[in-house]
Amino acid sequence: MVGDKTQALANVMDHIVRRVVWRIGPVEITSTVVNTWIIVAVLFIGAFWIRRRLEEKPRGIQTLLEILVEFLHSMIDGVMGREGRRYLPFVGPLFVFILALNLGWVIPGVMPPTTDLMTTAALGLTTVALVQLAIVRAKGVIGYLRHLAQPTVVMIPMNIIEELVKPFSLAIRLFGNMFGEEMVVTILFLLVPVLAPTPVMVLGILMGSIQAYIFTLLTITYLPAGDQ
Amino acid sequence: MTMGFLAVCLTVMVPAIVSALSQGWATVAAVHGMSRQPEAANEIRTTLLVALAFMEALTLFCFVVAILIWVKL
Repeated sequence: MVGDKTQALANVMDHIVRRVVWRIGPVEITSTVVNTWIIVAVLFIGAFWIRRRLEEKPRGIQTLLEILVEFLHSMIDGVMGREGRRYLPFVGPLFVFILALNLGWVIPGVMPPTTDLMTTAALGLTTVALVQLAIVRAKGVIGYLRHLAQPTVVMIPMNIIEELVKPFSLAIRLFGNMFGEEMVVTILFLLVPVLAPTPVMVLGILMGSIQAYIFTLLTITYLPAGDQ
Repeated sequence: MTMGFLAVCLTVMVPAIVSALSQGWATVAAVHGMSRQPEAANEIRTTLLVALAFMEALTLFCFVVAILIWVKL
């Protein structure tokens, strides 16, 4: 019995780490990608379903969505004031998507795609690339170069390193939190399958929401404060 | 091999201790600030969460390093 458990614990990574599902030529479709597709499909169907029944007086799930929009507005207002709301089309979907990915484990058999470093690396890289484009758009190319030499010219290497570290730290933070949480749940599940993982899973809902919030908040702080 | 596992444990343990202490410290300071000036609570909360995220990130970097060492073992 004890031997069984040690054996199971030794293979704990097999339950979490991605595996190749299909192989189309040189392209490998991993379980992470399939899980992301499932979650995106659920989001799409939910969005269309809610859109069909939008009403003047919100009720039911529409109230929840309006609370979400209010929450995003207050988050942006707190960092860069009202004019920052023009970034809502970028920041809002980011929050909803990461939240959906983090809470993906509520669908049976789906491992949250954010437990894979590849997903979070993609999210971090695209986010920071868009942030750089937003800075260029807000300040112009010369303004962007001047922003790199911000306090003095000597600081240019440090500023460039800072920009390069941003996607890395965003990706590792999201991955580390989700992977660690999922690993604790899996180990507890392998040891005591009934009821023992439940408190950690409840904590996982909280953690997933906080991580989505932090990712979005950091993106907002990276975005250029509204000049022009 | 045993020393390798020890290295993995220490790589996770030491940053976890330090980051728990520092996060507690930051939270204490933020709660003091909030109780003295409840009207600034929202701004303090936002700043606190960003600061906690940065402290957390260092622990998680070490966690990733620990996984890398473990895979190498």
